[in-house]
Amino acid sequence: MRTPNGLARAAVRFSPAAFTGTFVALVMAALIVSGCGILLETGLRASVPPQRYAGAPVLVAADQNVHRITGSGDDRDDEAIPLPDRARLDNSLVAKAASVPGARSAVADITFPVLGDRGALTGHGWGATAFTGERLGSGRAPRTGEIVVTRGVAAVGDRVTLTTANGPHRVIVSGVTVSSGATPTVWFTDSEAAAVSGHPGRIDTIAVLPADGVTPAELKKRVAHALGSRAQVHTGTGRGAVEDTSLGQARELLTALGGSFGGTATMVAVFTAAATVALSVGRRAREFALLRAIGATPRQIRRTIATEALLMAPLAGLLGCLPGIALAHWWFGQLRDRGAVPGAVQLSVSWIPLVSAVGAVLLTALVAGLAAARRAARIKPGRALAEAAVERIRPGWIRTPLGIAAVAGGFVCAGLASSLSGDEAAGASLGIVFLFMLATALLGPLLARAAAALFGLPLRGAGASASLAVANSRTNARRMASAITPIVLAMAFAATLVFMHTSEVRAADRQLRAATVADHIVSSGTGLPPDTVARAERLPDVTAAVALLKTAVLVPTPGNSPQQASAQGVTGSSTALARVQDLDVRKGTLSLRPGQVAIDIRLADAARVGIGDRLRLYLPDGTKAAPEVVATYGRGLGVSQVTLPASALAAHVTSPFATELWTRGGSAKALAPFGTVLDRGDRTAASSEERELSAWANAVMAAVLGGFAAIAAGNTLVMTVLDRRREFGMLRLVGGTRRQILRMVRWEALLVTLVGITLGTAIALATLVPMAQGITGEAPYVPPVLYGAFVAAALILGLTATALPARAALRGTLRR
Amino acid sequence: MGLRKKRYEEGVAARTGVAPAGRPAVELRGVRRQFGRGQAAVHALRGIDLELARGGFTAVMGPSGSGKSTFLQCAAGLDRPTAGTVHLGGTEITGLSENKLTALRRTRLGFVFQAFNLLPSLTVEQNVVLPMRLAGHRPDRRRAAEVLSQVGLDGLARRRPDQLSGGQQQRVAIARALVTRPDVVFADEPTGALDTTTATEVLGLLRGAVDSLGATVVMVTHDPAAAAWADHVLFLADGAIADSLTGAPAARIADRMTALTASYRTGAAA
Repeated sequence: MRTPNGLARAAVRFSPAAFTGTFVALVMAALIVSGCGILLETGLRASVPPQRYAGAPVLVAADQNVHRITGSGDDRDDEAIPLPDRARLDNSLVAKAASVPGARSAVADITFPVLGDRGALTGHGWGATAFTGERLGSGRAPRTGEIVVTRGVAAVGDRVTLTTANGPHRVIVSGVTVSSGATPTVWFTDSEAAAVSGHPGRIDTIAVLPADGVTPAELKKRVAHALGSRAQVHTGTGRGAVEDTSLGQARELLTALGGSFGGTATMVAVFTAAATVALSVGRRAREFALLRAIGATPRQIRRTIATEALLMAPLAGLLGCLPGIALAHWWFGQLRDRGAVPGAVQLSVSWIPLVSAVGAVLLTALVAGLAAARRAARIKPGRALAEAAVERIRPGWIRTPLGIAAVAGGFVCAGLASSLSGDEAAGASLGIVFLFMLATALLGPLLARAAAALFGLPLRGAGASASLAVANSRTNARRMASAITPIVLAMAFAATLVFMHTSEVRAADRQLRAATVADHIVSSGTGLPPDTVARAERLPDVTAAVALLKTAVLVPTPGNSPQQASAQGVTGSSTALARVQDLDVRKGTLSLRPGQVAIDIRLADAARVGIGDRLRLYLPDGTKAAPEVVATYGRGLGVSQVTLPASALAAHVTSPFATELWTRGGSAKALAPFGTVLDRGDRTAASSEERELSAWANAVMAAVLGGFAAIAAGNTLVMTVLDRRREFGMLRLVGGTRRQILRMVRWEALLVTLVGITLGTAIALATLVPMAQGITGEAPYVPPVLYGAFVAAALILGLTATALPARAALRGTLRR
Repeated sequence: MGLRKKRYEEGVAARTGVAPAGRPAVELRGVRRQFGRGQAAVHALRGIDLELARGGFTAVMGPSGSGKSTFLQCAAGLDRPTAGTVHLGGTEITGLSENKLTALRRTRLGFVFQAFNLLPSLTVEQNVVLPMRLAGHRPDRRRAAEVLSQVGLDGLARRRPDQLSGGQQQRVAIARALVTRPDVVFADEPTGALDTTTATEVLGLLRGAVDSLGATVVMVTHDPAAAAWADHVLFLADGAIADSLTGAPAARIADRMTALTASYRTGAAA
């Protein structure tokens, strides 16, 4: 019945340049969706081939996650939170696994650190060689009191002293392996290994070797059946995840980047594309009015506009996928180089994210086109043919209340989110900024007029160009608003992400500086032997010494998933601790008896515990504990959020050796044998690897979002200026010189940019202040140089993106 | 053939002032149009009662601000009057829904504006057949060629509007207005932007459409020379019909205009 009327195709073909702005916006949307989609897929599929366990077809390991189960029945949601350290199995399961029909043998495996004369060594039980395949080059298998070493560590018959978790051992080397291996390794007998591992009775994994004729899959089923829910059974590539526990964290990171950040970025992209389409449709109001007059129904207008957008979408989607893949490659490579992702993980680029990107672009174009068309279709044909193209000044009855609701929602969410921390905070902050951005978009014209009136007061007396600029901005509020919105976007996102991080780092630095009352801090990468504190105390002039074991625990918080909190296990008395660390104890008294814990005051708020309550937490290997809270202190962000006696942690971490020694008194020379003596300058929290990674990650996210918004801003500004050819022509006919017109454009650009910067900063502050309060307890820290750089970039963008097209628009204006 | 003769006779009857048989082409009853509310309200039309017969060429003149354009837009269904009714060819359009009104505009009305008549992205031929395509029909290229030759633009079918002169663009607009054989053609200052020679050509086309095709044309203009081409001239002042002339030459129309403007000015000053 209906033949296509060819209007859309004709419009796009006639003046493709007019649609460039929309095209660019759609390409950027495809870029973001495909890039983040690839990262997300990689995170979901990431796996590492097993190396140590390559020879163990069926591997039994403990669940490396803590589970938070919400809801019930159909709504049951199981969230898995990875543990900070390796979860272990009970030794009794070995016999059970061995007794499964079809299993030739079941071998327990443990890995633990050992300190030798020349550095750290990795320790195992010799039984593990049944599947790891080390062979002796000389000597024989160890017996009690004997060890086998890799080549190059020692020779057969040497007597060595090794320091293990339970003190020094004198052992004889009974054998040397053929290869020198990746790292220097020692093998004890299985029983002795269990004793010195630091967690006797608990093993890392069980390798179950199948009897002849039994497939790994079959064996896996039987073992799983025998062990039930006490352990997980892995075959194939799943074993790699067991071997490398950092894979779990890496997958979390990738899915967070691809999923949550990608989701926000996609919303921003869709939003910007919609605004661009709306702008380009607004320019052609007269054309649509003519169509209405001749006899196009509102529905035909809507369909034409939607079709125009859809014509460009497929090509834009495909073009955007190429830089999207490049972005994913670069980002992933960087994450791998910085150690956030294990080196063996590969980026997986499949058709799924690419097709999703094209699909998302199509959907965006359609939705944006239809949304923009609503206004165009409602044009009264007679009115819009009037000569003056002035906008309606009435505020929308739907937009204004929605805009106000969005502002209110933003503030409420900011308040709620102030109880989060770390990565969750960063994710929540983006959502809050987005709400404020929505408000800006909805209330845009009102804000633009108000801003023009405000800034216009001083400008009105500043010459013809300036007063024209103000008048233009006041009447064409919608146009000005569409130019302001992307600048606000860029500024708000960039400022929030970057300054949230700087605030956190600065607060942590200040706290650590204030908390460090020790005279010396000795750090050891390999680990400090268990008798370090005793030896340090015997040194002359040393009045207090404590050793710190740094790890993390999981603290369940009501209403949220368990959050990871930094923890320090203290070897030493609480009085000694008080003399080297000033934690700014607010309530209670610091005490380090078994079953006691002191925590950061903000963690106490989040977990809703007070002095005397029991804090339920998960130790690093997943064991549940509930020590009594004896004190809360204020400097947890800089030092450590949880302070426990080291004995509470020692059996629940892979490496039970302390890494730092804090002393009051003593001399650097005397302390040098223990490790590296740090001087005051080195003791900043920012030097920790995790903080650096976080800084870089935030910077990249800010660059992606900010860069996107900047391009969108440039796009919009160019479009709005190129539109005004007729206006400039009229101004020149009336007697304006080129310079005056350019100056007018510059004033308008300045107005737009300043309003954008102000609004963006306001939104960033509205988000940062409550979140900084929640995380650091202080006001946010905005480094002036960095902020100045953002402002300068925005100004340069605004001025260039208007000056260049203005010059182009002025070129042919007197010829008609 | 018979239909055309009937229209021709009706056209003759209109020119001689004899009331024709059948429904009038355009009928306005008590039409008012007000912009804004309360104190700042602008009364563009203050009660217009009018009947225009079929097959006639009517010009509407008046000083600026008299409501000419508003009158045209209300009569043509481009704008809704605040009060009163409008009938076109017997059909009441004031109560029609937007979709029905649009369908009416597509098939039974034609429009020519002072400027910006054509879509810049379409060729001349595509512009001419646009009403038909909007109605969902396949474009009738023979009809397009026929109507283009009627306005003297054969051979320019594939050009785009920016390649045509102002006069040629107006001719294309007239061609488009005539392509659906409308009941009424509404023209809003069609010669306003043209020089005298080209204006004469365009007016001749409109006159020809009335004489040979039996079309009804309602033209708003400020130029007495253009109004002289019409059968009747209506004078609008201050939103109401102040005067009318039939078959008058340009000089008399100009005099009447001057008198009207003067009294309007003194009336306003008083």
